[in-house]
Amino acid sequence: MNKNIKILIVDDFSTMRRIIKNLLRDLGFTNTAEADDGLTALPMLQSGSFELLVTDWNMPGMQGIDLLKAVRADPKLATLPVLMVTAEQKKEQIIEAAKAGVNGYIVKPFTAQTLKEKLEKIFERIEASQ
Amino acid sequence: MANETGTLSEEYIVRVRTLAQTVESGNSEEAARLLDELTSLREKTLFQELGRLTREFHEALQSFRLDSRIATLTAQDFPDARERLNYVVSMTAQSANRTMTAVEESMPICESLEEQASSLRSEWSRFTKRKMNPDEFRDLSRRLGEFLDGICTDTPKLRNNLQEVLMAQDFQDLTGQIIHRVVQLVDEVENNLVELIRISGQGMVPERAEEKKEDRIAASGPPVPGVDVGTVAGQDEVDDLLSSLGF
Repeated sequence: MNKNIKILIVDDFSTMRRIIKNLLRDLGFTNTAEADDGLTALPMLQSGSFELLVTDWNMPGMQGIDLLKAVRADPKLATLPVLMVTAEQKKEQIIEAAKAGVNGYIVKPFTAQTLKEKLEKIFERIEASQ
Repeated sequence: MANETGTLSEEYIVRVRTLAQTVESGNSEEAARLLDELTSLREKTLFQELGRLTREFHEALQSFRLDSRIATLTAQDFPDARERLNYVVSMTAQSANRTMTAVEESMPICESLEEQASSLRSEWSRFTKRKMNPDEFRDLSRRLGEFLDGICTDTPKLRNNLQEVLMAQDFQDLTGQIIHRVVQLVDEVENNLVELIRISGQGMVPERAEEKKEDRIAASGPPVPGVDVGTVAGQDEVDDLLSSLGF
């Protein structure tokens, strides 16, 4: 797993972005950037060379599910791995995210171990498909 | 009211019968007059009913206006509740940041101690196996001294940071109390609304079932036990659901 990949963390709560950033750093991923909703995240994704998107669902402006759909609809970003980290946990929502092409779904509150496992799973799949 | 209606319908019956006879006898002028009379009778009934409703509504509103609690609720308690909840948000953010600052300061200290200790351990093991010359030993001895000095300055810092993490958790007690007060206010508002519906809502139609249906995909925040239904109970269920979808 390449630890130098650029990761975008999207959450409207700065404390949660900070938690995720610290957890990622602990796992060796230090190349991270942050955005506070989908509207600010999308242009960053389009102009930057991000290799992973970690996003919340419930945000003002553009929600995480809409960001995911926008990413999948953009030919340049369509294959970007997306990990959703959210307190939304209705079955319909998880199914909706799966249909929209999410690569992992973590419910809050979560543990460092869960984040590690889901990331490993995402990278394993990418390596297997290459 | 029942008597009033009874008298009115008798008046209707008399006029309708007369009207039928008049039409049959071909007296169109008289028939037109009787129709006018019926119409004005109908208007009279409507106005009486309207008058009654207006009076009742007025009384209901008056009694509500007299309840000064409502005024306090809208003028003071609601803005207060908003403030309280905003305060909860800023307090919890403050506490999370306080904790993370302490952790961010402590992590490099731990990493450095770990690194030095592991390097000294391998040197020490060479010494105990007598594989070290006097010059190397002098160097090891100096480094051990530095390491011990470092521990003496670093551990109070770690201790302080841990204390800080501990203290930052005080938000739970404080925000819990604030939220509890807001919940009490919401209960009171609910009771008032129920009362308002009771005194004024005689013509209320129950909400249709499809209007109550919520948007299941829209974001609704963390699920609250006993309130939110149809949610999964944690990461394991999310994983099960996703694997059933071929993930």
